[in-house]
Amino acid sequence: MAKFNINGKEYEIEIDGKDRLIDLLRDKLHLTGTKEGCGEGECGACTVLIDGEIADSCLVLAFQCIDKNIVTIEGIGNDEELDPSQQAFIENGAVQCGFCIPGMVLSSKAIIDKYEYPTEEQIKIGISGNLCRCTGYNKMIESVKRAAEIKRERSVKNG
Amino acid sequence: MLKMDKYDSVGKRIFRIDAKSKVKGETIYPQDIYMDNMAYGKTLRSSIPHGKINKIDIEKAEKVEGVLKVFTAKDIPGKNHHGVLLKDHEAFCEKKVRRIGDPLAFVVAETEEIAEEALKLIEVDIEELEGVFSAEEGMKKDSPRVHDEEDNLMYTYNLKKGDIDSGFKESDIIVENEYRVGMVDHAFLQPEAGIAYMENGRIVVSVSSQYPHFDRMEIAEALDISEDRIKYLNPAVGGAFGAREDITMQIHLALATYILNRPVKTIYNREESFLAHSKRHSVVMKYKTGASKDGKLKALKAEFIGDTGAYASWAYNVMRKCGVHGTGPYEIPNVDIKSHAVYTNNPFAGAMRGFGATQPPVGHEQQMDILAEKLGIDPIDFRMKNIFKLGSNTATGQELSESVPLDRCIESVKEYIEKEIKSEEFKDKENIGVGYGATFYGTGYGNGFPDVSVAEAELNKDGKVNIYLEATECGQGSDTVMVQMAAEPFKSGIEIINHRHCNTDLTKDTGTAAASRQTYNSGNAVKLASEKLRDKLLEKASVYLGLNTSMGLDIKDNYIFLKFEKDRKISLKELAEKIYSEDDCEGLLREEAVFIAQTTMMSEEDGQGSPYWPYTFGACGVILEVDPLTGRVQILRAVSAQDVGKAINPDLIEGQMDGGFAMGYGYAIYEDLNIKNGNMKNNRFTNYLIPTSSDMPKLKKIIIEDPESTGPYGAKGIGEPVMTYVAPAILNAIYDAVGVRINSLPASPDKILKAISNKKEDKDEVESYDKSEEKSRFVI
Repeated sequence: MAKFNINGKEYEIEIDGKDRLIDLLRDKLHLTGTKEGCGEGECGACTVLIDGEIADSCLVLAFQCIDKNIVTIEGIGNDEELDPSQQAFIENGAVQCGFCIPGMVLSSKAIIDKYEYPTEEQIKIGISGNLCRCTGYNKMIESVKRAAEIKRERSVKNG
Repeated sequence: MLKMDKYDSVGKRIFRIDAKSKVKGETIYPQDIYMDNMAYGKTLRSSIPHGKINKIDIEKAEKVEGVLKVFTAKDIPGKNHHGVLLKDHEAFCEKKVRRIGDPLAFVVAETEEIAEEALKLIEVDIEELEGVFSAEEGMKKDSPRVHDEEDNLMYTYNLKKGDIDSGFKESDIIVENEYRVGMVDHAFLQPEAGIAYMENGRIVVSVSSQYPHFDRMEIAEALDISEDRIKYLNPAVGGAFGAREDITMQIHLALATYILNRPVKTIYNREESFLAHSKRHSVVMKYKTGASKDGKLKALKAEFIGDTGAYASWAYNVMRKCGVHGTGPYEIPNVDIKSHAVYTNNPFAGAMRGFGATQPPVGHEQQMDILAEKLGIDPIDFRMKNIFKLGSNTATGQELSESVPLDRCIESVKEYIEKEIKSEEFKDKENIGVGYGATFYGTGYGNGFPDVSVAEAELNKDGKVNIYLEATECGQGSDTVMVQMAAEPFKSGIEIINHRHCNTDLTKDTGTAAASRQTYNSGNAVKLASEKLRDKLLEKASVYLGLNTSMGLDIKDNYIFLKFEKDRKISLKELAEKIYSEDDCEGLLREEAVFIAQTTMMSEEDGQGSPYWPYTFGACGVILEVDPLTGRVQILRAVSAQDVGKAINPDLIEGQMDGGFAMGYGYAIYEDLNIKNGNMKNNRFTNYLIPTSSDMPKLKKIIIEDPESTGPYGAKGIGEPVMTYVAPAILNAIYDAVGVRINSLPASPDKILKAISNKKEDKDEVESYDKSEEKSRFVI
């Protein structure tokens, strides 16, 4: 049995040495918000945060994540208040088919956690590992800017 | 002109109704469904492009512990075939394979790993046959036949208008060139996945699809059962772009669960996804265009040779559309177009965004620029002299009787580019180029084929309106615009609508989510259904309000009231309570509406007729820089202007414009399947490159409204047209930047470098990279 911290919850799960993190999340825990688009780290649909950094969960083995903090799309925002990136993607019409969205939103979160005022270049680079075939990225880039703004507004409001 | 404030829900930038669940990761795609006692299926596919099947031996595979069954052609109880037009696909190949990727067997096992292991133990004896790997080869009489009973040249569309010979005689300048566009992939992000299970003796199939009712029919035929024994659920669709029109795993899953009585799931990995679905037709386009000195187009002769690969899929319709759109959006008095579809042993081609209307602009728009240069006329002025206007006739003899705002599209694009090019940023830069593209696009199935959408609306017990509509949400936003259009007659916001779809038990056939037809067709159907229901509710309300007639009653904010005595009113909730207290059965108030688009069948002889309606128009402009040392293209400014009739939701239209630009950009510069002898070498995201956030320029998006009287609230569909003008604008800008014409896509850095170096060597610009341009001749 191995211990994992996923979305702030402690799990003890039996894993196989070959299990990838995405297998653990999807097949064992049914956290299906994490998507598999290519299985080789090109599309970013399986993006999660490991200790705050974005990672492709199809390229990471589950055992490598023991004792690390893993955040998936299910672990951000809540029913009362969406995460700023989630809110911004809705407001800016940046969602289409949605398959890349969980990964994209987590990349957005990582960007605005790192930069209070992200530049366009920082945003473009920050989401360049996440492929999207529907939106042409422009509304996503605007969304990340807006997400940073929402985050700043909330931090002022919350003192 | 319609005014924005006339509407309650239509025309507003309403947030997508599916966005919240998508950003929370709660939306369920088929791969996200897990069931108890679920078995896994894996498909064995041909690695040979053309061969005779001698034997498929499943004995060893079936003996593996944990294997439930290995299905092959002999297990199909009904007809072992499928296909959107011709039934030329086999669910499992029986005697012959015709392409790499053809399905041979489906292993179902307790786990995915066991299925994979068993797959390797299937012994396949296929005798390889000589293959045919290009449409031009395939057309030759002595080429090997892909389908034994059929000629490889499976379809030719002829379009003739005026007298082509006199047209060229009247031309002062004639330009003749050949353009080549290859097969490309839809590369949606959600690979095919699905699950099927039994429910009360019926088969439930859950696979992302563009057309659930059609898929259900194909499954029923293969399984030899009636359609009503199948329930087709369409969970979230992670992008489609045409690739989810032909079925992939549907028959395999349905058959397996039917025989094994267990839930069976399968997920394709990216490589299998590339193998499983259709491609865009590669087309060789031979263009000869003539114009007079004063800049009027006089004649256009073109031949399109489309490679449909191993199966027809939509070949007739795609190559017909290619032919109809061959002229571009210009009035040309003399036209002669031939458009062929040819079987080969390449991956099969079918529907992809634009559906035959995306390829010709790569040719006709470069022809326009070449002609303009030779005539010494500004390329925009040249276009403006020839474009479709109100009352123009297309080459098929169809009158464009309304909503033809192409002039506004082109002018607005030009205005933006001309302002931007003056920017300081470009002052001292070399190798900067400006390019334009203009296109038209015919909506719907077309050519007189019944293009039918059925929608239903009913008042439910909560006083809300249920709408039943199959129209598939592929990501384009149809659920949201359908709700907006359905809500409008009730003037109570979109919250009044409770949208039911994605289930063939509940919805009637709305046709496929393709041909940019849902907003127009199903939008009309749902609008009509809502209006019928509203009128019925007004009737009912008049009774409860003690009135003699429903005249003068109106509806707003969930109340029905008498316009000149507003206190005489009843809420929809109260109305529902009253109606259902009399009879408790939901469905009594259900109203159905059918919308059928109007087109006529073209003459087989000369292609004259009215193949599509409505048409949409659009234009694109780019400013880009070519690095002459690396051949890399960087787009610095971009603008698209799209005629939409009436924007139901501007946010969603902009989303389509951005996405269409990105796809057109990928088509122009990056995307290459690298097919050699039927084998796609670039079949993963590692080597099949699509644009990323770092590549995409900001796109100025201009929505042009000119309401179409037959459209719902004036709307026309735009999902496909938004990509058609992008590639030619980029190619024309590359020429403007470095003086080379790239006549075969993609305009990859190596091709551009080679062209630049050829140009330097040749010195003579007219005889640059494209040898066919030598054929350009001055008749003056």
